[in-house]
Amino acid sequence: MSGRNHSDLLKPSNAQRVGRVALIAAALAFLALFLLLPVTIVFTQAFSQGWAIYRASIYQEDVLSALRLTGLVAAIAVPLNVLFGISASWAITRFEFHGKSLLITLIDIPLAVSPVVAGLMYVEVFGLHGWLGPWLSDHNLHIIFAVPGIVLATVFVTFPFVARELIPFMQAQGSDEEVAAVVLGANGWSVFWRVTLPNIKWALLYGTILAASRSIGEFGAVSVVSGHIRGLTTTLPLEVEMLYNEYSFTAAFAAASLLTLAAIVTLVVKKIIEVTSGVHRHGEEKESES
Amino acid sequence: MSIQVEHICKQYGSFTALDDVSLTIASGELVALLGPSGSGKTTLLRIIAGLEAPDGGSILLHGEESTAHSASKRGIGFVFQHYALFRHMTIFENVAFGLRVQSRKIRPSRRVIRERVTELLRLVQLDSFARMFPDQLSGGQRQRVALARALAVKPKVLLLDEPFSALDAKVRKELRDWLRRIHDELHVTTVLVTHDQEEALEVADRVAILNHGKLEQIGTPQAIYDHPASPFVYNFLGNVNLFHGRLLADLSADGSASTQEESIQTAIGFVRPHELELSRTLPDGWKSVEGSVVRIHAAGPQVRLELSIAGSGRPFTAEVDRRRFEELALVPGEKVFVWPQSIRLFDSDGARALLDQGAGI
Repeated sequence: MSGRNHSDLLKPSNAQRVGRVALIAAALAFLALFLLLPVTIVFTQAFSQGWAIYRASIYQEDVLSALRLTGLVAAIAVPLNVLFGISASWAITRFEFHGKSLLITLIDIPLAVSPVVAGLMYVEVFGLHGWLGPWLSDHNLHIIFAVPGIVLATVFVTFPFVARELIPFMQAQGSDEEVAAVVLGANGWSVFWRVTLPNIKWALLYGTILAASRSIGEFGAVSVVSGHIRGLTTTLPLEVEMLYNEYSFTAAFAAASLLTLAAIVTLVVKKIIEVTSGVHRHGEEKESES
Repeated sequence: MSIQVEHICKQYGSFTALDDVSLTIASGELVALLGPSGSGKTTLLRIIAGLEAPDGGSILLHGEESTAHSASKRGIGFVFQHYALFRHMTIFENVAFGLRVQSRKIRPSRRVIRERVTELLRLVQLDSFARMFPDQLSGGQRQRVALARALAVKPKVLLLDEPFSALDAKVRKELRDWLRRIHDELHVTTVLVTHDQEEALEVADRVAILNHGKLEQIGTPQAIYDHPASPFVYNFLGNVNLFHGRLLADLSADGSASTQEESIQTAIGFVRPHELELSRTLPDGWKSVEGSVVRIHAAGPQVRLELSIAGSGRPFTAEVDRRRFEELALVPGEKVFVWPQSIRLFDSDGARALLDQGAGI
């Protein structure tokens, strides 16, 4: 009896049903208009002159060098991020220390600050007229308008990704397993490799994917510090902009299609991680359990 | 291996977790640290384990000063309240962990590890679960794995931090009996932290009762049950869980039951519900209190009566067996005469025991 009443209560009224359909339709229309359509246009524009031109646009020396630089920057920034992310989240979730909440706030700064401001800060510090500028030029070190500056700017904007993914996850997991490992005689190294890392591996991978995708696509901060020297300090996003400004639309869209492809791959990998590991589901389960 | 706890103090900010606690645990003994939450029992266990450093005092393991030794060097087995099994390892790997992380010099061969783990899984009756993962097991099974894991490194001391409190009552009881059997088999010095007095009294050789960071009393279960050293111990052991009733306090303060010459001063008297005698008629030669029946709980082997003292209306509880209850045939609202078979008196601030007497007041 009561069971039937219950399901009656759950059954939506007609008005509710109409509202639901309208909401879903609005969301889908939005998605189509602002996401699906632009992505399709990127690819149709890129291939508008045919496969041969597309291929030729990408195989330009400048585009290839931009591609290489983007890869190099990501290859430096992402591992640094992983290292920082693990140490910061380990410190925050496993130890009590003064300034802990300050550290948590600091980690979020790159998300709050506009990337352009981040770029300008580096120019202020390392630029020719900046703080360390004279000293750097005396020692013939180039940071601004050179690759090191681009790496620094990318590291800055991608800073929070791994840490922000790991901190809540490690908090939910607690340190019981690590304490248990220590009592069983494991040293710090064994604890990390045998217990901590296997437990956080999916969350870590998830954060790494996000950081990688951001470091490939970063425009603002990099734009300020790069100096746009073709073939030397242009990353792929900068190259797209430059090509576009020179009215090389097909080439610009061809390069853009590479970035879009990278983003799609990221999304697919991210989804696979979510499904196979239950990273996000897992965290919630743990919380509700305790 | 014996454990000596000497003048241990621990402070968390302004909160005193342990205040000059000393006790000695003999080799092969099973001691329960019993107390309410916040009494410092878990802190003491963690200090013995080396997971926490005391502010003062020392820990001697087997007569050897060990306060400065790290947890990984003390040769202890620790069982956590929430199991703390390695979730990404199979049951087999969980138990093998302590052996695998040993330095190459002392690490046993793969074959020996396999044999030892299999033997332990057999001991905890989980040999068929070796390939499963912790989340495929029930809480009771997980805690048995945790115990096997702790025993794998042949610890000289086994420390258990409220190991059964996350389990349901029936499993808890089973595991408690089973822990006692394992202990009798292996004779590892064991310290068990619990807030469950029934668990402590049933499993341990000796029970140490802690309150507000101080050791209130330590003794065999019978000794502390029969001769509580303080009102706190009396109250704590007389919890509903054990006796299914509350303590009757203040009988002597009411005037009618005080029998000793010392009654010139106010005192608190403790009588357990089952130590009360009831009668419908005023007994000859017995000093009794008149009460009235408020409520009767007749489910179970003992019948519990909620009563109130005539005049003051102060509530108290008595327990009689079924046969006696049927003889009395009381119904709520009726008058009844009550007197204690035995009573323990403390002075009014509970600091000093005035009388600890068995039958025959």
